Amino acid sequence: MSIVQNSAQKSKWYLPGVIGGLGITMKHLLKNLISKKSMQTINYPEEKYEYGPRFKGNHILTVKKDGSLRCTACMLCATNCPAECIKITASENPDPKVEKFPISYEIDILRCVFCGFCEEACPVDAIRLGPEWQTPGLSGSNFTYDINHLAYRPALKGGIQSHVDDEERHKEGI
Amino acid sequence: MPKCTINGKEVEVKDGQTIMEAFKKADEPIAHYCYHPGLSVAGVCRLCICDIEGNPRPQIACNTTVTEGMKVSTKSDKVKEGVKWVLDFHLINHPLDCPICDQAGECGLQEQYMAFGKYEPEMAEKKVKKHKVVDLGPTVVLDSERCILCSRCVRFTEEVSKTNELGIFNRGDRSEIGCVEGKSLDNKYSLNTVDICPVGALTSKDFRFKQRVWYLKDSDTVCNGCSTGCNVKVYFNKEGMFRVKPVHNEQVNGYWMCDEGRNIYQFANKENRFEKGIKKLGGASLETMLPGALAKELHQLVKSGKDQTAVVLTGQYTSEEYDSFIGTLSKEFGIKKVYHWNQNEKQMGDFDGLLIRGDKNPNTKGLLKVFEKHQIKTEWQDLEKSLESKSIKNLIVAGPENLSVFADMDSKLALFSKAENLIWLGAAKVEALTSDSGKVKNKNIFVIPLKSFVEKEGTFVNHSGLEQKFKKATTILHETLTLTEVAILFAGKNLTLPSAVEKPAFVESQRRSDQVQLEHRKKNEFVFKRGTL
Repeated sequence: MSIVQNSAQKSKWYLPGVIGGLGITMKHLLKNLISKKSMQTINYPEEKYEYGPRFKGNHILTVKKDGSLRCTACMLCATNCPAECIKITASENPDPKVEKFPISYEIDILRCVFCGFCEEACPVDAIRLGPEWQTPGLSGSNFTYDINHLAYRPALKGGIQSHVDDEERHKEGI
Repeated sequence: MPKCTINGKEVEVKDGQTIMEAFKKADEPIAHYCYHPGLSVAGVCRLCICDIEGNPRPQIACNTTVTEGMKVSTKSDKVKEGVKWVLDFHLINHPLDCPICDQAGECGLQEQYMAFGKYEPEMAEKKVKKHKVVDLGPTVVLDSERCILCSRCVRFTEEVSKTNELGIFNRGDRSEIGCVEGKSLDNKYSLNTVDICPVGALTSKDFRFKQRVWYLKDSDTVCNGCSTGCNVKVYFNKEGMFRVKPVHNEQVNGYWMCDEGRNIYQFANKENRFEKGIKKLGGASLETMLPGALAKELHQLVKSGKDQTAVVLTGQYTSEEYDSFIGTLSKEFGIKKVYHWNQNEKQMGDFDGLLIRGDKNPNTKGLLKVFEKHQIKTEWQDLEKSLESKSIKNLIVAGPENLSVFADMDSKLALFSKAENLIWLGAAKVEALTSDSGKVKNKNIFVIPLKSFVEKEGTFVNHSGLEQKFKKATTILHETLTLTEVAILFAGKNLTLPSAVEKPAFVESQRRSDQVQLEHRKKNEFVFKRGTL
């Protein structure tokens, strides 16, 4: 074992390093003052960063053209969910073309691990993980998302439309 | 008794039996849809093809009789290819409904495809569209797109229920199952068509969309809907019970069960049960407590008024329970006033020719046997008289589980309310007991919730005297008691829990010579006998 000790001669050269570092700070300060757009940081609570659409954040239930839920309540997402956080109650739809639909679809977001298995299991593109990532809440009930929140929250602007369309599939003869 | 060889296994079958039955006997897998052991042979699905030695073309197993020395195989490439492409023909117009189909998970098509199919679809034409969600009757919904026209349901209504409601209409790929004009599938055995449907074409209205089948566990038990005692399978999970299906038993019910018996799961579910022991003293409000604690508390009451105590039993409990209940009460308190509440005395002998019997209790025979054993000869009129004359103070009633078959409930409750103290034992929730409707006028009411038939083991003796033992399927309400346990607590004794380890887990004399011992562990050395690893 040996301890390397800086000699008195060598330790005197700290000054150029400090001044060089300060120079970099001043450079960024001036740059940020001149052009605010190229600034690397944001003022977090007031300004929020938007992730890309492929980010796996909070769930979205997609809708059909007429605005009703795309979900058929097949329960494959609930079966596939490793955290067992999805709870669906299915019921009979009066429209025979739809047949089965969920009357309640609840995700316990505190149990969710955002693995995206529900998205992978879904045969009809009814559930997706969206780019939203901050979801604070004041009480426990804020963290159980129901259909109203999952499909029609204000951030979704009336609902995201699913890629899978029954009518097109029927026309193709599938 | 011809002998034949099935995939290399030698099997002896009865005269006139088919190759399909020989396959079942040899326990060899064979693809099939339309064949059902309880129905006639139709030979329409052409899936059970097999090679017979000396025969140039494959034959169907379900409609070929076994002859002496026949050598049958399904292992050849010709048969495998044949099954695969027959399956393709079945699936030509089959919709991709699996996500919303109730049969998914227990579907014949899914199973056969995984076992024998596994092909890429090569159909370029559009699928033929047929009717969906057709209301066939009060219990069954038809989806004719999913139907593969195996005709099992048609044969069932023809041969078993003999009601002839169903038929196959139109021709070619537009063929559809449907009801004969002016009729609907409305018979007492209609839900059997749902069981035998190998695909999701016929689904039960009651079970529709309630649960996916892979969330359910099953367990065999005996139906307690009537004195036939059909062997059934109950399907349940932690949320409760969901459906009942028949299990084959040639002696009792064959392959079938009635629609009435399919509702027996409902009264075992939480919402139709008493969950806690209930005490209602005088005009005071209800007090809930643990069932065991309440039963123990009643020891004093029964003991002090043992000469003025009568017991009323219904035919809804197991023989073991009757035996220990009557035995304990007569031994401890000398209670001999035990009465049989028979709600359907007039219909006792009724029989519809297939399964349904007029006696809606599963264990009337068992109760009468126990009465005989304990030499109890009482008449119902005696109870009525003594209640009238107020000579009975305490009345213990082991009430019905299946309330729907007890039409005389109200009149009997009015009779029972003549006693001062009513001790009601029962699984089903009887609203009149706890509500202030004034139907039950006893001074003190005690309710002890009991276990339902799926939560205990025991024996039911059916109409013909056949003793059927069944085991516990699941637990729905944890704190409930059996009649046996109630009797022990009434007698002032404590319940003894059966010890988890019956035998000592470790017996010194049975220790293997090479078993690792504590000394070896301490020295960090292990002894192995050569060759045992």
